[in-house]
Amino acid sequence: MASMEEEFVNALAELDETKTLELAKKRIAAGEDPFKILDDIRKATDIIGKRYEEGRYFVSDLIMAGEILKQVMEILKPVIGEKRGESKGKVVIGTVEGDVHDIGKNIVIALLEAEGFEVVDLGVDQPPEVFVNAVKEHKPQVLGLSGLLTEAIESMKKTIEAIEKAGLRNKVKIIIGGGRTNEEAKQYTKADDWADDAAVGVRKIKALAGVV
Amino acid sequence: MDVEEIRREKIERIEAVIKGKEPDKVPITAATTVWHGAYAGYTPKEVLFDYSKCKDAWLKVAKDFNFDTFTFIPGLEGMIYTIAMLKDAEMAGAARFILGPTHLALGDVFTRWPGYELNENAHPQFIGKEIMKVDEYKQLIEDPLEFVNKVAMPRINKKLANVGSAEYNAAMAKYGAELAKFGAFMAEASAELAKIGYPTFPMSWSYAPLDFIGDFLRDIKNVVMDLYRYKDVVKEAVEAIKPLVIKAAELTAPPAEIRKQIFGTEVVECFFPLHLNEYLNPKLYNEFYWPSLNDVFKEVVKTGQTPFVLFEGKHDAHLETLLEAPKGKIVGVFEKTDPRKVREVLGNHVILVSGPPNSLLIGGTPQKVEEYMKSLLTDCKEGGMMIWPGVDGGISRDAKPENVKAVVEAVEKYGRY
Repeated sequence: MASMEEEFVNALAELDETKTLELAKKRIAAGEDPFKILDDIRKATDIIGKRYEEGRYFVSDLIMAGEILKQVMEILKPVIGEKRGESKGKVVIGTVEGDVHDIGKNIVIALLEAEGFEVVDLGVDQPPEVFVNAVKEHKPQVLGLSGLLTEAIESMKKTIEAIEKAGLRNKVKIIIGGGRTNEEAKQYTKADDWADDAAVGVRKIKALAGVV
Repeated sequence: MDVEEIRREKIERIEAVIKGKEPDKVPITAATTVWHGAYAGYTPKEVLFDYSKCKDAWLKVAKDFNFDTFTFIPGLEGMIYTIAMLKDAEMAGAARFILGPTHLALGDVFTRWPGYELNENAHPQFIGKEIMKVDEYKQLIEDPLEFVNKVAMPRINKKLANVGSAEYNAAMAKYGAELAKFGAFMAEASAELAKIGYPTFPMSWSYAPLDFIGDFLRDIKNVVMDLYRYKDVVKEAVEAIKPLVIKAAELTAPPAEIRKQIFGTEVVECFFPLHLNEYLNPKLYNEFYWPSLNDVFKEVVKTGQTPFVLFEGKHDAHLETLLEAPKGKIVGVFEKTDPRKVREVLGNHVILVSGPPNSLLIGGTPQKVEEYMKSLLTDCKEGGMMIWPGVDGGISRDAKPENVKAVVEAVEKYGRY
């Protein structure tokens, strides 16, 4: 029989909402180290990300995973407080000026937090200066510029130009993300990388932050 | 050649492709929401709220670029308004999109507009909202039309919140006036386009039933979670919506005599923008999305209309299901699926529409566009296809005119049969 840890990892990776939440509560009630549970969450999100990249999971599965993760984190919060163990790094992320979409950005944030990153979410429709100030203030390893519209590409370019102008370009890696980004858009905006889906985005952000 | 002959030639070119034949050359069916404005020196706000500027820009682009059709996409998804008006053919057809001015008249909570919620240079956006609670599915299923009108519309439109109130009546009157203004503008623009050799194709409106629930009632994220949590009730709701979207297609097609006299064609393109297709894994797609959509396709085809389907995002995982759809009767615009793959899997089962992505029109050069088009046309034009420049949503505000011109030139060079 599988241990409760294995069962928990499997339930989460299989997106079994009821079972995952039940097991999380059980493990806490049994007095388990909450950081051990966090480790298992990371294991499960790794599996979810892999399945996505293998074409077995789709956006709907990531949305459901994000929803379950949110609820598990709510259950864990009272026992771990604000500490989440050792941070894997800091990421600032926001939707660029002129675009108010955020489904993709929010999935990325849920997955990054589950992975142990500290994420600063700037929200939607944010002008270049907000990104510049956030890079100055938070000193993230990675800056994520999100947008769904084809018009977002121009805003991403302007934002990266503003980061460059502020003398911060060599202090932060920049990834653009969204359904209409691609290699062409990466070159045009002078970003370091691009992702048109959330799971690939998380993998690339980890690589840019130097976390393997 | 006189103007009418040019227009006739363009109509025949597109008709040939829709009938599964190769015309003289590959037709270009361009569409945009705000690029014509950018080209003519107007902001998105100006072209979306000031119809004289919009028409000016629309005609300028039509004159300067030799497309076969050039469509102005006037607003954002508003199929629920068509369904709400289903008792009246004229209103149901007119109400299809949420327009800038109708947004102001009704105060919908779904959309954001340049010059109002957004800066005046931004593209308008549909954000959506949860309108129906999960425990209201039952009520929707019992009488969907009643639910749309009595429950959903007052929640969607701030100015219709209090049914029968003075504010409600004034808002509806204003809404009707705005639709009339818009209808007059579209008719006038079509007539002027015809004078410079541009045809307009008759359109009708339908929708994937599950998208209807996701876009207008539950919101995307919620409907996705409902598929995991409340399977049966979602399936019932999909079945309840299905007859309404079929009815909408029948009702909103221009009558046969108008088609012939005004448009000069028998073809009716029934527009389907698909949204959840990219989100759903094949299991969910095959269980909740595709069967009802294919039923709608079949019914629409039976009426002699041609479904014109935007496969938004990546449709790769679901391509094979299209073999179950009526053969050679559906036009498919594939946003991120490689058209070569579409050909490989579907052959001529679906009429292929493809084109360069906006990233190339924005960041590329005419030479890069030419290379892209040469490869696309060489690989895919056999058996007939159409080009849709800026295949991801129509030509983007920031597309460079010289790159759009390069699309037209490349079709001249590599798109002849």
